[in-house]
Amino acid sequence: MGGRKETPFLPPNVLPMKHLLSKRFRQEIEGLLFVFPYLLLWGTFVLWPLGYGVYLSLFDWHPIRGSKFVGFANYIALFKDVRFLNALSNSFKFAAMVVPLVLIVAFLFALLLWGWKGNRHLSSFAQAVFFFPYLLTVSVIAITWRWLLDPDFGFVTFIFKYFRIPAPTFLSDPFWALPAVALATVWWLSGYRMVVFQAALGDIPQDLFEVAILDGAHLNQILFRVILPLMKPAILFSLVLTTISAFRTFGQVLMMTEGGPGRATEVLALYIYWNAFEYFRIGRAAAAGVVMLFFTLLLTLLGVKILGLRSELY
Amino acid sequence: MKKFLGVLVGIAVSWWLVSFGQVVEIEFNTLFHEADAKAMENIVNLFQSLHPEIKVRLVQGRWAQYYAELRLSVIAGNPPQLGICHVNRLVEMVDYLTPLDASPVGNLLELGGIDPALFPEATWKAGQMGGHQYLIPLDTHGWGLWYNKDIFAAAGLDPDKPPQTYDEFVAACEAIKKAGYYAFHPAEDALPRKLRRAWEIFYYQMGGELFDPAFTHATFNNEKGLKALEFLVNIFNAYGWNVVGGNGYAQFTAGKLGMLFAGNWFYPTVKQSGVNFGYAPVPNLFGIPYTWGASHQLCIPLQPAGTPREVYLAAMKLARFITENAYLWTMTGGHIAANSKALEDPRLLTSDYWKESGHILNDMIQKGLVRFPINHPRGSELEKAIETYIELAVIGQISPAEALAKAEAECNRILQGG
Amino acid sequence: MAKYSFILTNTGLLLLSALWAFPSLWVALTAFKPNSDIFSIPITFFPTKPTFEHFIRLFTKWPFNRWLLNSLFLAGFVTVVSLIACTLAAFSFARLSWRGRDTLFLIILASMLLPMEVSIVPLYFMMVQFKLFNTIYGAALPLIPLPIGVFLLRQFFLNIPRDLEDAAKIDGCSSFGVLWRIIIPNSLPALSAYGIYIFNYAWNEFLWSLIVLRDPKKVTLPVGLRLVQGAFELDYGLINAAAFLASLPSLLVFLILRQRLIRGITLSSGIKG
Repeated sequence: MGGRKETPFLPPNVLPMKHLLSKRFRQEIEGLLFVFPYLLLWGTFVLWPLGYGVYLSLFDWHPIRGSKFVGFANYIALFKDVRFLNALSNSFKFAAMVVPLVLIVAFLFALLLWGWKGNRHLSSFAQAVFFFPYLLTVSVIAITWRWLLDPDFGFVTFIFKYFRIPAPTFLSDPFWALPAVALATVWWLSGYRMVVFQAALGDIPQDLFEVAILDGAHLNQILFRVILPLMKPAILFSLVLTTISAFRTFGQVLMMTEGGPGRATEVLALYIYWNAFEYFRIGRAAAAGVVMLFFTLLLTLLGVKILGLRSELY
Repeated sequence: MKKFLGVLVGIAVSWWLVSFGQVVEIEFNTLFHEADAKAMENIVNLFQSLHPEIKVRLVQGRWAQYYAELRLSVIAGNPPQLGICHVNRLVEMVDYLTPLDASPVGNLLELGGIDPALFPEATWKAGQMGGHQYLIPLDTHGWGLWYNKDIFAAAGLDPDKPPQTYDEFVAACEAIKKAGYYAFHPAEDALPRKLRRAWEIFYYQMGGELFDPAFTHATFNNEKGLKALEFLVNIFNAYGWNVVGGNGYAQFTAGKLGMLFAGNWFYPTVKQSGVNFGYAPVPNLFGIPYTWGASHQLCIPLQPAGTPREVYLAAMKLARFITENAYLWTMTGGHIAANSKALEDPRLLTSDYWKESGHILNDMIQKGLVRFPINHPRGSELEKAIETYIELAVIGQISPAEALAKAEAECNRILQGG
Repeated sequence: MAKYSFILTNTGLLLLSALWAFPSLWVALTAFKPNSDIFSIPITFFPTKPTFEHFIRLFTKWPFNRWLLNSLFLAGFVTVVSLIACTLAAFSFARLSWRGRDTLFLIILASMLLPMEVSIVPLYFMMVQFKLFNTIYGAALPLIPLPIGVFLLRQFFLNIPRDLEDAAKIDGCSSFGVLWRIIIPNSLPALSAYGIYIFNYAWNEFLWSLIVLRDPKKVTLPVGLRLVQGAFELDYGLINAAAFLASLPSLLVFLILRQRLIRGITLSSGIKG
């Protein structure tokens, strides 16, 4: 990533007064010119709203009546709000369920397909099947799983009844609702991570395996000493992506449970949405958003640290 | 070159002259969807055809986010010229609305020819705050008792005499249950807010109030509140009149439900289902036969400074037209028009809707039996707090006593600024 | 032992795939079942009388084809503009030398971690102010500057050997010429990978479209599905039919572009695979 100095070259027709403006200056302008379209969009729709959002979080926002600067009062109120704390804990619970499951499922599938000794067509087909849900939109995922888990006519309920096991009402049960949404999410996202892991597995040089087998290594040792360490970048990538995804979850929850029953599945994103667009507590919602940002960054950094992957990032 | 410029300028000037003062454009933004939206679209199209000098841009859609949007658009300086405001949202929205009697261009009510006498007094007064009139009533809508005449007959009940007292009601429920049907569903499709409305009906009928007049604390965690909630919970559990998770709409249209509390908007669905239905006022179960309802009202959001008089007047014209032609609104959407002129329209009075259900609801409204939702800036949060725990009580996760206690605690926290 | 595991794993994999695919299959089956089958207890697995009635009702009750077109336009618009903007920017970061280049790149990269939730209210307010609210452009614009695009393309550009460029520069080619004549033609895999990625991203975007688009005729497919689900909560036939139809474009694209899709993912994860 360190810059290699470009050999400067002279664009013959671009600037007629080339002898008046230094090369350095021209290069600067040129560089910025190319970045400009992106920068304009990014600055307007990513950077500025973020800044303004942080700014809003410091106010009790009532533009007509007069907003009041309240500093960190919104944040303090947030952490005193039972509903916010519930949303935060739900988000953590959800991430704790989704992230490991997605990574494990994706890894197992990748391993299975990578080491597949059977029918090639079958493994190709399997890969397609495992991957496909990722392409579906969140609404379809929600509808699919809500229908599967329907307490009256859902297929899963039917299976339970068939085996004479009392079926929980999943999405209407405060205990099962969040895991149910997590399950749907795992089904949705694993395929993508699987492909990433497959690529990483494919990158591992064959000789390493041969050497390991010659050295008499067990499967376990190969897994933990050879495969996993070499897959660190892929694991990091998937970890970061999945953590952010899990923490930001909105669509599935909204469409599967609307945050219910009670507040059992009300996650942070949903809390922000209600506060901003139902209750019009803009300062409060903005503060919650900043908190979400903070935790996302924190979790990501933690993940990076734990897996010792700082070198991979740069 | 000069000639070309001259021609351009000439065209521009003529265009400006031609369009100047000719067409006024206004935007009417509503929170209506599906059948209601279609009904309003028809009314607006009718207006458009009769008033080509006013161009109306009609924007409709889901009600979620509507009020936040309205406020943000006022802040941003490009609000619609006419909007909708539920009567219980006035307190929240008042800073963002134009006072109609004291607008920047004068008394719009006078200028627009709106006569308060044409509207029911309570509904008209509900649109006032701080001595100013902000809203013009469009309709009142609410819940009534829908019942299946065939099931009544099968259960040995008189299909033309729906229950109106507690004893009659319980007897009817038990008879229907014995006949093998769902006896009663108190809350449309059992969404949390509907369960709350059902509870409120029972509670209000007992004479209870949710909060003190000054909204300092919750006043529903008491004997009456508990009795009302226990009644609600028992419907789905102990009494066996329905099941947890049961959807009243679906049950009724499938001909499996004897009685249902539902809003007037259920009418088109019921008609389509072919069920032999009857409609009655909500029975007097606990003292006063109150029912739950709300009122759509028209409002003019705060316009940016310098908005010309014609724009305000155009908006008022549209508002007046809508209320006077609200018979269309009632016939298609089922909401009872507020303007009494509309209620006298023969087209409405001879319609199926009016004869089969509308006039009964109108009766309840005229008698003052329709209770509107609470009017508080944080009303939606308070309601959400209550319905969360009511839902948990109905599905059996917590006891009714616990539910009320928790709801009370949360409401108090909200009222104290938390 | 080897024979055992062969049988087990071949059928095993087939079963596993069937299990994994089941939820979607179930939606498809439900979409074609008459209501009597959907609401039967015990469950009827296959439709007794396959029917199109749910689809017909779907199209009469909802502007489904409008939703499809809206999604198509949104995704297409976002993809085209994003490709242009990101390519230009990535080129600048990869090939041009100017002060602040690397710092700016790091900042943009960091913004990849940004959840949109902190920005939705200011963004929404912006849309209202610019009268882009309830328009497809309002829905599209915030989706365009995806940092991953710049990252991915820059990564790829850095790896292109410089000999061709050096030759061109000696002949007096401008920066833009280098980009247009050399870099882009040699980056088609990365460009198509990113194009597919962002098309999929915009196609599936839910939260922002939900907030910005209100008119049922203007919403995109994901939001439209929500409207369907919200309005007729128990009309499972209709809801599943809608979900099934909504999955078809993705299925089609997947079958045609499968290899590119997979390649795109491996590229965008930064792994050389």
